[in-house]
This record gives sequence, structure tokens and C-alpha cells, in this order.
Amino acid sequence: MAAAYPPDRHLLRDLRLEFEHGDDSTSRAQMPVVPELCADDGSVRAGALATLVDVIGGGLAATAAQPDWIATADLTLHVVGAATTGSVTADARVVHAGRTTVVIEVELHDHTDREIGLATMSFARLPRREENPDIRASMSAGPSTMALPTSHLDAPLVDMLGARVVDAARGELEVPVGEWSLNSLGAMQGGAVAIVIDAAAEAAIRAATSERLVVTDLQVTYLALGRVGPIRTRVDVLGASAGQARARVELVDAGSQSRVTTLARVVATSSLRASP
Amino acid sequence: MSASPQGGNGSGQGREVSRYIRVDLHEVDGDGEIRVEGHAPASPHLRGPDGGVRAGALLTMLDNVGGLCGGLAALPDGWVVSTNLSARTVALEHVGPMRIDARVLRQGRSSVLTAVQIHDEGAHDVLVVDGVLTSAILVPENGPPQWSRPLVLDAGEPPPEPVPGIPEWLGATPIDASTIEMTLAESLRNPWGILHGGAVASFVDLAAGHVTGGITTDVVLHFLAPNRIGPVRAVARPIGSRADGTVLRVEVRDHGADRVTALAVVTVRSAQ
Repeated sequence: MAAAYPPDRHLLRDLRLEFEHGDDSTSRAQMPVVPELCADDGSVRAGALATLVDVIGGGLAATAAQPDWIATADLTLHVVGAATTGSVTADARVVHAGRTTVVIEVELHDHTDREIGLATMSFARLPRREENPDIRASMSAGPSTMALPTSHLDAPLVDMLGARVVDAARGELEVPVGEWSLNSLGAMQGGAVAIVIDAAAEAAIRAATSERLVVTDLQVTYLALGRVGPIRTRVDVLGASAGQARARVELVDAGSQSRVTTLARVVATSSLRASP
Repeated sequence: MSASPQGGNGSGQGREVSRYIRVDLHEVDGDGEIRVEGHAPASPHLRGPDGGVRAGALLTMLDNVGGLCGGLAALPDGWVVSTNLSARTVALEHVGPMRIDARVLRQGRSSVLTAVQIHDEGAHDVLVVDGVLTSAILVPENGPPQWSRPLVLDAGEPPPEPVPGIPEWLGATPIDASTIEMTLAESLRNPWGILHGGAVASFVDLAAGHVTGGITTDVVLHFLAPNRIGPVRAVARPIGSRADGTVLRVEVRDHGADRVTALAVVTVRSAQ
């Protein structure tokens, strides 16, 4: 018999997300702000916010696509404010559900209801297969959570993923495809991929600029599932000026003939804690 | 919604946008991979108040060359329409000509992803734009276009002088502090009779500039539905500012059809 998904110790449980599903076109999730989610400026990392977006957006898109199934094509996130305490709320809505694609928009607010970011996701609509999960139960109206009473983060997100820095200046990380971050298809979960991109880009950009910039934008294009691992990253810093830098990040699955799994374009800026 | 199954002679409906942007393109031997290379001058009519080529024009080049590359990948059974594009501008000062390189990243049954980069050949080949275009595969009513391969497609006859700037070309006019409007001129439609994706991208760029007075650097643009009737309106709402500029949400509506047709998130740098 297949093990239940997600297992007791899993990213989706340990983030302690709380969901409030509306009708079939809206959904809300809250993520408590804990130090393990934060960069060294004390604000929640873009990669952590992207994980929140991925979870709420993916669930809503799967609902909108029923009876079909979906594959995540891309995720974009623009962060404009620092979340440092309380919780982050993600409000997702379906902006398009067509024959071939579903598009979701997600607004992010901090605990004072200040808008701190905007995200979009698009999905390819696919014929349902037997192995695709039935999400109707988990998306039923009313509050819900995947967290167990014991769920928590033991360490910063990137450490929980088991990431090893190979060459910080080149943004080279090596990350196993571990059970803690698997999606229901047995590959690295899309939010975990965004966390890896965030960490790799930050390392390379800081080395290139000697500034303590933090990742504020992610444009992630998912090309293939990272099933085997380790996942390896490579970063090209495309340009930098005072307080900002841009980079391109490539992820390959080293255990799968180094197939490119993900491309991302990243912006990092000076800390948003100083922004009004 | 822009990759155009028009005839290969550079004429006909849907070619007006290519004529205006002046993109010549050809298929490149990609060692089994489909690649398309385009060239376009950094024409004065494409430049904004800061002197650089407007982001909307760069995105139109990206959509044009990337869309054609995706379309060639979809042949012989189908053709493509753009569903979304995302692009970051790395250099804001331009000499020209621009070289637009597109290659297929992934092809599935229902979609094609193309990576598109724009380099400034007149400025030591510096990278100007790094982007990705996603296109949906469909089967046009009259079948996919018939091309001679390897494909060569020139920009056609130049537009008559004086060539209008992008705001005048689109017929964009302000409605209020956050909204601009354009009529859906025949010359801006693609072969399916809907507003060309490059024109939508340029309209989004203008809307962001209208609200902030700045220069668009990054765009994420989702094409949600065709603009068929018009007038078309774009409403831009700033969501916050950072060291690299202001981030805005831009929503495009076909006012005549009363529906949202595109959603964009745009980063705008303050004018120097």
C-alpha cells in the first residue's frame, strides 16, 4: 500500500499553513512567520513566500481544472514589503481557467494587512491520470491545515532541504531530492525549488556585489521534474548597480543526465525592511 | 496572441506590427534544435523619453521571434498563440541593431516554451533582455501555415514617414490618473483579427509609464483572452516601491466585450 502523502515530517506540514477555501475561484492561506523562514535581515525569504504561493495556487488551480489535472508551468513573485512578525496571508483567485491553461493571481499581506507582494502562477491543463490525487477533500470549504501538533521547522529552510554550498561565488549548491520536500509525484516540490533558487541567487549576487542584497523577485519556469537528485544550481549575475542586481539561475538534476529542470530570472535588492 | 501564420512574403493582415517594429528573422541550423534569429534596428520611433528602446518594443520583438520559433516547433499539425511572457531588461541604453535569439526550451503536446534573449550588437553585444515566452498549441481553422524551410521572413516594406512613436501608433490616450485607452485599429490586429500580443505588451508598458513616469524594466504578462472589440483599457495600480523602482499590477480589459484580457506585473525604474 502506498504511504500517505505528505508524510508526518514534510515541508507542507512543518510550515504550519492554515487554509480557508472559498468557492471554486478563491482560496486563502496563512503562514506563521518564524525565524527559520527569514533571511539574515529578519524578513521572510522570497523562497518561503513562493512556497506559500505554490501551495495555495496549486490547490486552487487543481480545483479549477477538475476533472482534469494540472502541471505547473511557471511562478512569478514580486516582493515589495518585509514580513518580519505575525503571519503572512496569501489570497489566491482564479483569473483564467481555459481549455489549455489555468492562471492564478496571489496577493500577499502581512499581519497588519499591508500588501507585501504579488504573485502569479500558470498551469498547463492535462487529462487526469489514475495516479493524480483527488484534492476535493483537502479543498473543501472551511478552515483546514496539514500541520500536526508536532510539526515545526528545526533549522532554516535551505538547511532543512539539506543544501550544500559547493561554490558560493558561482551560486553552486547541491541539494538532495529528499522525502521532506517531495511533491505528490515524487519530485522536488515547486516551492522547495524556489527556496533553492533564492539561496543560490543570493549567494552569487552577494559575492558579486559585496552588498547584503536579498531576493525580491522570482520568475521561475518549470521545465521538468527533479526526481532523482542531487539538484545542482548555477547562477549568472547579469547586472548590478547600487542596491540591486539581476541574475539567471539554472537547476539541473545531476542524477538524471543533468537534465535542466528549472530556469529562473531573479532580482535582489537592498533589504525591504527600510522601505516605507 | 501574436505569432502569425501569415504568408511568407511580408504582406497581409498581421504584418503591420512586424513592419512597424522592423524585425527580419530567419531559422538557424540548431543541430536538431529549432532556433530562430531576428534582427531589428533600434529605430527612433521605438525609443522612449529616456532615449532607450521602450520595453514594449523589446517585448514585441521577443513575442515576434519567440512566437515564430514556438510555431515552427508545433508544425506540422498545429500553430501557436502566446499565453504568457516574462522578461527582465538588463541594459536600458541601446545602440542597435538588436539581435533576437530564440530557442525551444520544452515542447509538450499542448504548449511550447521558448527562451528569448536580445543582445545589442552595436554595444559590444551586451545582453539587453532575458526572457521566456510560453505559447499554447492549437490547430487553426484553415490549418497551420505553410512555410518554406529553413524559414526566412523579412520585415516587409518600411512604414511611411513620418513613423509615429508607440503611443501614437497605438492611439493610446489617458482616461484618468491610472487608466489609458486605445481603439482596436485594424492595423494592430493579427491574422485572427485580435489585438497583436506585441501591441498588448506595448500598451501595458505605456500604462505603467503613465502612472509612474518611469521606465519599464521587467514585465510578467499573462494573455488571458483575445481583444476583439475594443476600446481596450489598461489600469495600472502601484503595489510598492523598492531600490530598483516601483512594482505595478496592470490589468487590461476589452471594454467592448466587458472582460479582462491580460494581467501583468511590471517593474518601473524612476526616470533619471
